[in-house]
Amino acid sequence: MTESETTASPAPQSLGLGTAMAAAMIAWLIPGAGHVYLKRWRRGLAFFVLVAISLAIGLALEGHLYRPVPNEPLSWLGTIGQLGLGTVYTVLRYVHYQGDIRGPGFEYGTAFLLTAGLMNLLLVLDAWDIAHGKKD
Amino acid sequence: MVISHFFLMVVFALIVSVFFALLWRRERAGQVRLFLQLFLGMVLGGLAVAWLMYPFPQGPPAPIP
Repeated sequence: MTESETTASPAPQSLGLGTAMAAAMIAWLIPGAGHVYLKRWRRGLAFFVLVAISLAIGLALEGHLYRPVPNEPLSWLGTIGQLGLGTVYTVLRYVHYQGDIRGPGFEYGTAFLLTAGLMNLLLVLDAWDIAHGKKD
Repeated sequence: MVISHFFLMVVFALIVSVFFALLWRRERAGQVRLFLQLFLGMVLGGLAVAWLMYPFPQGPPAPIP
């Protein structure tokens, strides 16, 4: 189904496991790209912008980038959430971004960064469902 | 950078509301309705919780580790 989604259209159909896996992987690497890959152009672009804005605010506020710490289970949960950012998380780890706990926006920034990661994880699942024909 | 708690809350609610409206609804009318429900629910809910917490003492600022 194209982005003229208010028009009547046939029921969605599965595009196969390979396409679903590719869409999910692409969606994880780049927010919204999974939807673009599945020809949901406008939706993909909108999701990219939303995740990018959340990410940009989180970085501007110098929020925390989680990494797993032994004996701190919450750090593992935070890491899993922010790993949803895919490529961006890897790049931020590579450049040793940590945020600034002394900054006035640290807690807010952390919430925005975590939200960006969690939103992208949901986009991965959405792309998977679309490719499997469970959603349009 | 000037930080307003209320402004950040509104921006957060805006982003999350638009996101879920696009994710969970496909028809425009349904998207608008869900967006309004989520956005107003978060902003008004946040204000209600803030109002309920108003009588509580603030206490000392949290130490910086």
